[in-house]
Amino acid sequence: MADAGGWRPPRPCEAYRAEWTLCRSAGHLLHHYYVHGERPACEQWRRDLASCQEWEERRSAEAQRSLCESERARVQATRKHALVWTLRQSPPADWHLPLPQEEKDQ
Amino acid sequence: MAGAAGGPQQQQQQQQRVACQVFPERRAQRGSGQGLLSSVFSSDQGCQRLLLKTLETNPYVKLLLDAMKHSGCAVNKERHFSCEDCNGNVSGGFDASTSQIVLCQNNIRNEAHMNRVVTHELVHAFDHCRAHVNWFTDVRHLACSEVRAANLSGDCSLVNEIFRLHFGLKRHHQTCVRDRAILSILAVRNISKEVAQKAVDEVFESCFNDQEPFGRIPHNKTYARYAHRDFQNRDRYYSNI
Repeated sequence: MADAGGWRPPRPCEAYRAEWTLCRSAGHLLHHYYVHGERPACEQWRRDLASCQEWEERRSAEAQRSLCESERARVQATRKHALVWTLRQSPPADWHLPLPQEEKDQ
Repeated sequence: MAGAAGGPQQQQQQQQRVACQVFPERRAQRGSGQGLLSSVFSSDQGCQRLLLKTLETNPYVKLLLDAMKHSGCAVNKERHFSCEDCNGNVSGGFDASTSQIVLCQNNIRNEAHMNRVVTHELVHAFDHCRAHVNWFTDVRHLACSEVRAANLSGDCSLVNEIFRLHFGLKRHHQTCVRDRAILSILAVRNISKEVAQKAVDEVFESCFNDQEPFGRIPHNKTYARYAHRDFQNRDRYYSNI
């Protein structure tokens, strides 16, 4: 987390509002049920929107803490499964090389 | 199992064999040239036109292109895409041995279909770019990429499944992803359905939940646009949590 002097919410407040609105939409209810078999939970987006607005208005330290905690939990949730493969340190060496027939033509 | 590793020469032969099952014309046409005659009588021009529109306008594809560029694999339309005629009813494929996406111009019906095929194959290309994927020697790696591609490309949207006359609602998306991943594996590997199914089962939990670079399952273009917005915002995001 950046120090308090340079910190700002990880997303603009409009993004939290957009996510909360999308989450509560009928379309998302259908999509979420189709994937997970249950209703989506949208309350956290509402809390994050409130925290973001509170920070924008009053620079509340509690709002900052709450937002960071919420977003870290989101990141952790995406990392809880071990990957099947090993990530690369650099892209494949032959990605940009010409196709074999082009080499022959040259 | 068809994916067993061998020496370098055996592995190269295996690579060609795997690609040739679906795209048998590829090896024959290389060297003989695909020039004017082919483009006049094939639907290459239509395929190229649809492809260009997809690359320029589709939000799923634009995010994948951005993510690949960020990972050091900038995509060049002429180098990394090829419109060809294919056997069967396959729509496309990713040829890891040449880093090229093959689009089956005789089987891609319209713009929406092109969008979905390009997205699907770019997921494979993205995986090839960011990870050591043993495409030809580890069926679990292939299974993982197919699970991700089916999950993230819109292949398994409710509408597409209804068009296929697969009716289901509660958690049906996951059933579709499993089934289509198995079909995709069987299209490019000479293995039994049981082996393919076992591989998908083993990797499903991890790979279904690996939703990079979208960070979510993009159910439609709105979700894809939000995902792209988040990707463009990632520097701010990670420096403030």
